[in-house]
Amino acid sequence: MRSARTVVLWGLIAAVGAAALGRVALSRGESINAAWLLTAAICTYLVGYRFYARFIATAIFALDADRATPAVRKADGHDFVPTNKWVVFGHHFAAIAGPGPLVGPTLAAQFGYLPGALWIIIGVVLGGAVQDFVILCSSIRRDGRSLGQMAKDEIGPVAGITALVAVLGIMVVLISVLALVVVNALKASPWGTVTISLTVPIAMFMGLYLRFLRPDKVLEASAIGLVMLAGALWAGQWVAANPALAPFFTLTGPTLALLIMAYGFAASVLPVWLLLAPRDYLSAFVKIGVVVALAVGILLVLPPLSMPAVTQFVDGSGPVFSGKVFPFVFITIACGAISGFHALIASGTTPKLLSREPDAKLVGYGAMLTESLVAIMALIAACVLTPGVYFAINAPVAALGTTAESAALAVQQWGFVLQPGEMDALAKSVGESSLLSRTGGAPSLAVGMAHLFDRALGGGGMALWYHFAIMFEALFILTTLDAGTRVGRFMLQDLGGQLWPKFREVTWQPAVWMASGLFVAMWGYFLYQGVTDPLGGINSLWPLFGMANQLLAAVALCVGTTVIIRMGKARYAWTTILPLTWLLIVVMTAGWQKLFSADPRIGFLAHASKFSALHAAGTLPPGVPSLAAMPRMVFNDRLDAAVAAFFLVSVLVIVFDSVRTWIKVVRGAVPAGSTEVPAQSTTLFAAD
Amino acid sequence: MLRLRLMHRLPRWIGVLRTIIGVPDYDRYLRHMRTRHPDCAVMSPAEFANERLEARYSRPGSRCC
Repeated sequence: MRSARTVVLWGLIAAVGAAALGRVALSRGESINAAWLLTAAICTYLVGYRFYARFIATAIFALDADRATPAVRKADGHDFVPTNKWVVFGHHFAAIAGPGPLVGPTLAAQFGYLPGALWIIIGVVLGGAVQDFVILCSSIRRDGRSLGQMAKDEIGPVAGITALVAVLGIMVVLISVLALVVVNALKASPWGTVTISLTVPIAMFMGLYLRFLRPDKVLEASAIGLVMLAGALWAGQWVAANPALAPFFTLTGPTLALLIMAYGFAASVLPVWLLLAPRDYLSAFVKIGVVVALAVGILLVLPPLSMPAVTQFVDGSGPVFSGKVFPFVFITIACGAISGFHALIASGTTPKLLSREPDAKLVGYGAMLTESLVAIMALIAACVLTPGVYFAINAPVAALGTTAESAALAVQQWGFVLQPGEMDALAKSVGESSLLSRTGGAPSLAVGMAHLFDRALGGGGMALWYHFAIMFEALFILTTLDAGTRVGRFMLQDLGGQLWPKFREVTWQPAVWMASGLFVAMWGYFLYQGVTDPLGGINSLWPLFGMANQLLAAVALCVGTTVIIRMGKARYAWTTILPLTWLLIVVMTAGWQKLFSADPRIGFLAHASKFSALHAAGTLPPGVPSLAAMPRMVFNDRLDAAVAAFFLVSVLVIVFDSVRTWIKVVRGAVPAGSTEVPAQSTTLFAAD
Repeated sequence: MLRLRLMHRLPRWIGVLRTIIGVPDYDRYLRHMRTRHPDCAVMSPAEFANERLEARYSRPGSRCC
């Protein structure tokens, strides 16, 4: 009886999901409601979770509630701690969700909502969630070992070292592109600049409070911090309206870039308790709050999507970033569909907390589905804007020109409508001087969210909601940036320590300062390059970031496949080989095009030759300040090309090394014996 | 009555929230050391807090994009 009911229930969920997906995919020419997209996503996630995740859990890993997890076996009260599965879920989700799933879908909306939506929904069920889940399971069975260690143990030393260097390269690109998003959101915006700057002293106040006034009262300090954040929002508005103070906080891109570099350096050398830890607590609350608010806003308003399902820019001529829908939608949206970075977390803190093996399904697969839902909501928030407004905010100066008239003309030529004065009125309503060419995704997402919040919750009106959205986007990004810089510093110290052991000492200040300075200089160079790029920087840096993230995902899937094959389950290895193959096709095609495309808007090398030819002829392309700046731009293009080539070579090295191992195991040259820690029953271990 | 029950549950919810945002739990550490390693030296609250923070911010993978 019960099984019949279950069959009917899941049949119904699958049918509703399929119908909604069909409606989303097939509607043309009429605007559809966001509810269809949400329904399609949620039903697909439910079916994926109930059937596919369960299949992986039982058929491949045979997750066993009686088999002791590292948290139980190695319980030490601080690192390894058995924890309730919903608490681990919350912790894991707060660690994996960041600005990535918000920015990527916003940028990819230039193709229309459909390509991004399909990739997010299908990609997560068959790719991203599988990756997180498989890596989590592999790590649980290996005492919570990290991805880098597993690459070395399972595949070989070459793959291990390549993975390590790749992680460092990825962090450089990741931090620079995220910092660029913040710079573009704060450029010429005194309100935003004041609000974001105030978050630094607020975090420091919390740090001092927790250290000296009321140790360990984290929730109390966070509550005070949140109230102060609201105050920072008002302070920003007040400064922006004050004619004497506003010019002082109206900063240019290069100035903001230098300030952010200084911040990253400070965060890396200052004690953790003063800045990083309190900011993290604050950001975790804001993160959860915003995700809930976004969901409530969308559910209450259920807005129609103004963006068409597919725009003409699938042909590669898009102004936000160039390149055809294949492969670039799969590069632009990494987080939300599949994100290699998660593999670092699924093999970091999380496996040391799980108290029962079967909980890995909820935490590994389930948390990634939740992040994917956040990406869908960000896509909805971007698509509630009319296409005219969306492109006026997201297209660079080189495409729009610098005046409202030239922008309106450009948007009309693309076939969209932009009323004269519409952008000025919109900018005024959100308290900004201009919204034209505010590339990077953050401002257009903030306008979309302000629109939703204002309709659903009312409150302070568009301006306050807009700056609230900018504030939390910047807060997310800065927490990734400061923690990332610190980790990068440690990795550099570790690398340098191979040559000169004293360099590794974390208490030796000269080494700390040198490694921090070097790492900030690495990402700062790319950031500065992006800020001064006439095409807006996002065009060159975001694809590099996407490729880097997918490269790490490829590494993770190679490790996962090797683990599955070595445990004698080669017949099920297709679960990870399928997304791996797709990623390889995507990353290789995108990388090849970024390197060798003859179109200077796509290919780094073609752009370099075009600019050197123009420089030789003495012609100044639009958006470039001076002829003297051009040789540096040519050099930057070649540098970006070198970075892309490095990523591609790294992928190939790891894939070849893995395939060699797979063949050896399948042929029997290497015993299939599992590298897992032998199973022990939980009953052998006393609970605390 | 309902308020009383809520008051009872409050500490538990606070604990859940603290674990989710990653606050180290000294009491749990102390309990663990007392029951499982009664003869080992125990870190002071300040030492424990420092050790946890250094562990959290010195390896990649505590944060994502």
